[in-house]
Amino acid sequence: MLNNRQRAVLDTLLPSGGHPALGLGLFDAGFDAFYEDFEGTAQPSMVWGFKAALFAASWLSPVLILRLPPLSRLERPDRERALEALGKSRFYLLRQLLLLLKAVCAFCYGADPRVRDALGFPRS
Amino acid sequence: MRVDVSSLDKPFSESYDYVIVGSGAAGATAARELADTGRSVCVLEEGPAVAPSEFNDRAFDSFKRLFRDMGGQVARGRAFIPVIQGRCLGGSTVINSAIVWRMPGDVWEPWRNEYGLGDALPIDELHRNWDKIEKELYVAETPPEAWGRFNELMHDGAKRLGAAAAATRRNVKGCRGSMRCLTGCPNDAKQSMLISYLPYAERRGAALVTGAKAEQVVCEGDRAVGVRGRGFHVRARRAVLIAASAIQTPGLLGRSGVDSVHLGEHFQGHPGCPVVGLFERPVNMWKGATQGYDCDHYRKEGRFKIETIGLPPEIVFARMAGAGARWKATMAEAPYAAIFAVQMRAHAHGTVKERFFGTDIQFDPNRRDMMQMRRGVRFAAELLFAAGAKTVLPGIFGLPERLTSPDQLPLIEAASDHPASYNWIVSHLFGTARMSRRACDGVIGTDFAVHGTKNLFVIDSSLFPTNIGVNPQHSIMAIAMLAAQRIAAGAKP
Repeated sequence: MLNNRQRAVLDTLLPSGGHPALGLGLFDAGFDAFYEDFEGTAQPSMVWGFKAALFAASWLSPVLILRLPPLSRLERPDRERALEALGKSRFYLLRQLLLLLKAVCAFCYGADPRVRDALGFPRS
Repeated sequence: MRVDVSSLDKPFSESYDYVIVGSGAAGATAARELADTGRSVCVLEEGPAVAPSEFNDRAFDSFKRLFRDMGGQVARGRAFIPVIQGRCLGGSTVINSAIVWRMPGDVWEPWRNEYGLGDALPIDELHRNWDKIEKELYVAETPPEAWGRFNELMHDGAKRLGAAAAATRRNVKGCRGSMRCLTGCPNDAKQSMLISYLPYAERRGAALVTGAKAEQVVCEGDRAVGVRGRGFHVRARRAVLIAASAIQTPGLLGRSGVDSVHLGEHFQGHPGCPVVGLFERPVNMWKGATQGYDCDHYRKEGRFKIETIGLPPEIVFARMAGAGARWKATMAEAPYAAIFAVQMRAHAHGTVKERFFGTDIQFDPNRRDMMQMRRGVRFAAELLFAAGAKTVLPGIFGLPERLTSPDQLPLIEAASDHPASYNWIVSHLFGTARMSRRACDGVIGTDFAVHGTKNLFVIDSSLFPTNIGVNPQHSIMAIAMLAAQRIAAGAKP
């Protein structure tokens, strides 16, 4: 189960709306069910890595844009700016944590048939 | 006969003439060869047997069922480098792009001249085996009708630059260009070991035992007499052949009492970095052969090769820049993207060791490798621009995210030397139990037997004394076939 702070991170990463073709948000694409499966079946190192990435996004990324954590207390533009800063950090580990976060989200989001249809990915 | 050890109520216990650990390119080829001798053969595979009808195009499902550690196995150094391996019946041949390259002569010559392996691995015998494999697995150049636009783009770019490039030779039959090599070919087009050599051996009586992680080779004196693991113990009357890959083989040998300072050392690979080009017209990289074209212009002199690659949306998205609305905007560019991957023959050596937390892979590209990689990224970007890309994403931290003109290419030469600035992946793995004439120089002898043992053989790419600079499946298969032929004949080179 994801707590509210974790959900705020993920909702910032892939919000509903925000793009004419990819209007679907991460949670619209069924991330809750995906996460249950991920937690139960993925390698423990990957699950813990994902949790560490959520923690870093929530508590460290705001500091990178000189705001007080957690991320959930910021307005959306600042939250997006904070996550962008994580990806551009000079600390490799922080960049890798964001990459892991995005990779797990992309596993769910990129598999959604509506997202694939929007991109012209052929249906199997 | 197929047995899934994980579904049995009691331990699986049988005797065979030959026990092979690993069902990938090496293990399956040896099984195919030994099954022809009329002797009994058992192939042990740690992963599950997944039928092609069960493959789907969702990356997460495939990674869970077909990949080692769900694709999360990494080599540690100054950067984390994902080490991609299959873990299923058929091994990495189920998830690779079926690329076929004979080992180039300029790679083999040092094996003969510097390592003294000319008699152990004679090139004419390897060519005979390559001929046989190519015939049996329908090896041919990717035909233009299966290219799709992203492969066509490399053809166009290379032609404009006058660079040596060609349609990739692959072991496929009737490829429909569904770009699903990575998640398992659902059309039985890719002639992976799962649908080719393993069924061949099975029809001749071989047992395919899945869910069977080999924990230890059981030895009596200098003879291997069996293999055991959780839920099984198989006895070997004639020989045990290890084909568990350059990552798993050294651990298994170490747990089995093999003691060599070279075990797990000399690990080499072909680390790669992707370069993305964005085009004005849709590229739709999900229509076409996953890897249908490659450019070997700098293979010999520059030690890198450029390959096209099509990836499922999930994998493409993860590497796109941004967060929130900007991430969505970059994701939406995916249909216009073509990926050219730089595959480098690295100089660096690493190690593969068993630790209390599992297998520890250490690998760090060195300074020469970084220079080569920058050159490779620059050339890939040049190819993309020559093919008509409007924007190139070099994927190097510290450089502009987007290059919009070939005039910016010199920026790549000035990019960071630090491996952590690049997006790596490595999938060709070599050398952790290398072959040598003398026991003091390697782990296995020129008869493929572990030094000091009679019938414990290593037949996978761990035995390679160096990396080879081209996709290794074909070399692995030809060498495993040679090993099996020698083992069956009881011959010494």
